Amino acid sequence: MERIERIPMEEQSGPRSREELEANKMPYEEFCRKLFDVGNEFSKPQALKGIRWLSCTMYIFTPHMVSNLAELGAEVIKIEFPRLADPMKHTSPFNEAYVYPLHDDRPLSGQGLGVINANVNKYFITLDYHRPEAIEVMYRLVKMSDGLTECYRPGTFDKWKISYRYLMEINPRFIYVWGGGFGYGPKVFGGSYDILGQAHAGLASITGFHEDFGGFPVKHTNWVIDWYSGTLGTAGILAALYWREKTGLGTMIEFSQVMCAARCIGYTWPLYGKWGIVRQRWGNWDTLLCVHGIICCGKSDYPDSKNPQLRDEARYVMISAFKDEDFKELCKIINRMDLYEKYQKHKDRVEATAQIEIYNALEEWARDKSRSEVTKILTEAGLLAMPVLNDKEIYESPHFRARGTIRWQADPSYGDILVHSTYSAGLLSKTPRRKYWDARPVGADNLRIYRELLGYPMSTIKEWYAKGII
Amino acid sequence: MAEEVRIKSRADTMKLTSYENRPWPVTPPPSREEVMKAYEKRRAAEFGKWCEDNLWFYDSWNKPEALRGVRVLEVGLWRLSHMFAGSILAEFGAEVIKIEPPEGDPLRYLAPFGRDEYMFEDVYTGEKVSPEFLHEMRNKYSVTLDLETEEGREIYKKLAATVDIIFEGYPPGYMDELGIGYRQLSQINPRLIYVWIGVLGQWGPWKDKVSKFGQWMLDPFGQVASGFVAKTGYPPDLLDRGKGGDPTRSGSWIADFTAGEQAAVNALAALYWRDYNGGNEGQFIEVTGSEALFEILDFDLSWYGFNESIKARTGSWDPCLNQYAWNPCKDGYMMIGGQTDRLWYRINMCIERDLPLFGRLICEDPKLKEVAARNALDMLIKTYTLTTMWLRTQNRVEVEEKLLEYDIAAGPLLFPDEVAEYPHFVYRPWVHVIEDEHYGHVMYAVPPNAYHMRTPARVKWIGRPLGKDTAEILLKYAGIDQWKLRELEERGIVKIYRPNFENK
Repeated sequence: MERIERIPMEEQSGPRSREELEANKMPYEEFCRKLFDVGNEFSKPQALKGIRWLSCTMYIFTPHMVSNLAELGAEVIKIEFPRLADPMKHTSPFNEAYVYPLHDDRPLSGQGLGVINANVNKYFITLDYHRPEAIEVMYRLVKMSDGLTECYRPGTFDKWKISYRYLMEINPRFIYVWGGGFGYGPKVFGGSYDILGQAHAGLASITGFHEDFGGFPVKHTNWVIDWYSGTLGTAGILAALYWREKTGLGTMIEFSQVMCAARCIGYTWPLYGKWGIVRQRWGNWDTLLCVHGIICCGKSDYPDSKNPQLRDEARYVMISAFKDEDFKELCKIINRMDLYEKYQKHKDRVEATAQIEIYNALEEWARDKSRSEVTKILTEAGLLAMPVLNDKEIYESPHFRARGTIRWQADPSYGDILVHSTYSAGLLSKTPRRKYWDARPVGADNLRIYRELLGYPMSTIKEWYAKGII
Repeated sequence: MAEEVRIKSRADTMKLTSYENRPWPVTPPPSREEVMKAYEKRRAAEFGKWCEDNLWFYDSWNKPEALRGVRVLEVGLWRLSHMFAGSILAEFGAEVIKIEPPEGDPLRYLAPFGRDEYMFEDVYTGEKVSPEFLHEMRNKYSVTLDLETEEGREIYKKLAATVDIIFEGYPPGYMDELGIGYRQLSQINPRLIYVWIGVLGQWGPWKDKVSKFGQWMLDPFGQVASGFVAKTGYPPDLLDRGKGGDPTRSGSWIADFTAGEQAAVNALAALYWRDYNGGNEGQFIEVTGSEALFEILDFDLSWYGFNESIKARTGSWDPCLNQYAWNPCKDGYMMIGGQTDRLWYRINMCIERDLPLFGRLICEDPKLKEVAARNALDMLIKTYTLTTMWLRTQNRVEVEEKLLEYDIAAGPLLFPDEVAEYPHFVYRPWVHVIEDEHYGHVMYAVPPNAYHMRTPARVKWIGRPLGKDTAEILLKYAGIDQWKLRELEERGIVKIYRPNFENK
């Protein structure tokens, strides 16, 4: 007879408690919803609690690199020049939209929408690095922080004696990040912006419609590459932090934004490198898959709207049916089985000339339809299609609302703001990202940092203020 | 001696431009001495030298790796999102194991325009691989495992018990149904950080769909659902609809890349918390392409909340900044940027030198004197019209030289071949060439994190034939011996790569 050994409870497989048993039985979607527990972020721990980071940053790219850390729980101190502060604050679409601090009615304290989302949870202090007094302040800050991100032209911080060459001496655990356009090399002093990265790194040249179709290189809508590069920089910081915990050594990171744009254009490089083939623009279709593209429908979804963005533009739909069965079904629906006969293999229909023929046939079919009709017909047939959504539709989407990735939030300084960042960068079940405030007015935390953290007496702070140092 | 070449097909032309007949770079980069002079121009010679000494790209391979010892599974098909997340960690030295079904990830076989001649070939077996897949297969191991079989799943569980992070990219609930999702694996390995990466979500009213025939949702669905497409491209006032004046997707799968990097950031933060910040346990993370992308669409949705503005397309212009656009020159496009007064007036001085009209109409316009007021639409039109007047008679190089003299952020719009030859990019370099054991000469984009002083990211190998590491990884981490492995191979649960060395 086989002997049954007694296995201790904790080594047995299967659920260990009633809660676990129930979690195991739950439908998967509900399990996810419960686990991510949207709306309850503030009661959970923070992944980067205890990390203090200095953010000597402007615009979007470097501020966002640090604001990722702040969303994950680091304490971030943003150091701005007195008066002007981050130039991004004076930026607003067509100079139309500004938000004002609730408790500050000075006429120029408004903040343009351009800066929103890039400086989440940061403490805002001001400091004029040019002044000799500032160096001592910076050294004090560096001694009690884990790292710094700056975006000035290479050599500027070195001139002020606050580059990594100097800081590594006073804090060997310090992680120093320079973020900018080019980095060492012949164009070292070249300034950079999001759009410059797109233009310079080849991304723009492969985006948009080909000349043969009347198109030009297209810019990714604003600052996407700045943001995207910032996040990639955050990954670098986190890797460096992880290594520092093992070895106790900080590092210097030179991070070029233009380079990031070159990183995300995939097969362009192997293709050019081996055969000298220069990848071209291919508009709204895909070079690897077909059918997998965006077409224009004849009718608008909002024919009577006053807003041209709805009346004229709500006509585009994404259709995807690249697998053989899907493509067959699509051809059946648009009544063009001849296309299926002609292009039965994916390899054949993804060829350039075939794509032109197929997409033209699709647009022909959609000429008397609206995009919602097209989506409905295809979805009901079990195929994949989706309208090209605009801001109104995304705002009204029950999906993003339920997931908490778009939500209204009462900002302590600026009042109610519709928030679409932070929470949408990823749901974490145990250490979720969160937004305490979006930004604060210039110098709002001077006292908190200079008085309470660094211990300067009030009289000194007043003196600095009078001299315009802060 | 010119050789007579007869071109009968595209394949014939490819030999002419192949790397064997076309050195890269055509123009060698400037020497270190010449570059030192550039640093000296702004009295930063000492600092410049320090940077080169400490950050020099070619030293990357003799420095330690930041994530050594971190083990990662990457499991998913079709998409670049989980692959990019894996790449970022692999570049930092993590041991990233890509699990593929025995027939391989379908992305392996997707050639641009279906053209076989654009596929890379393994020298030993002739097995073909897509350049897109190859480029994101950097520093990764390829293991094949049939997860649809009970035995395959058991092996997968054993692997999962030994790893720190899993990046998963299957349709929502698929892995859970197989009994190898977060719910089950977190019980085997409570320290596991499990990241699901998708397009719309694994839960919620619009979660990721699969077609009736099993086709997945892939990027650009993420771009479409985030509002990116609606806001990218030229408006019909600038170009006719159907001829470039339409909403436009990115040339790359940008939502996949954005989701991938946020997945990597979240995973690394979770890892830090687990190991060094008191967490001591893993967690479940979900990142989607659509949300990761609208996260970084600036103020767009907040603006809708502000006054119901639906952001429109503005071509290569920017509604928030002036100047900040590329405009046509004689031989292409030139990007000029500068918003603050300091830069604005420098641009003006530079242009005015050649075109006095510009000074009169732009510098002296009272409306253009205030930084925010410059962004009004009529002001954008005026500025760019006059800038283009100046640009259109000159080439990109000439304009760039003039603008850089004034320290203005400016650069030409380059095509990939020009990028690969641009002196600064070659000097650092930004694209680099690897001589891979299997695929030979491969040009790749250098990891942007390669310029770390102590632990630079690097590419050690690129691409991996299907199943090359199956045996090694399963023997090491899944407790499977050689006999069992052979049995699994015979039953088709794994595929083991067998090179034919005679081919080389």
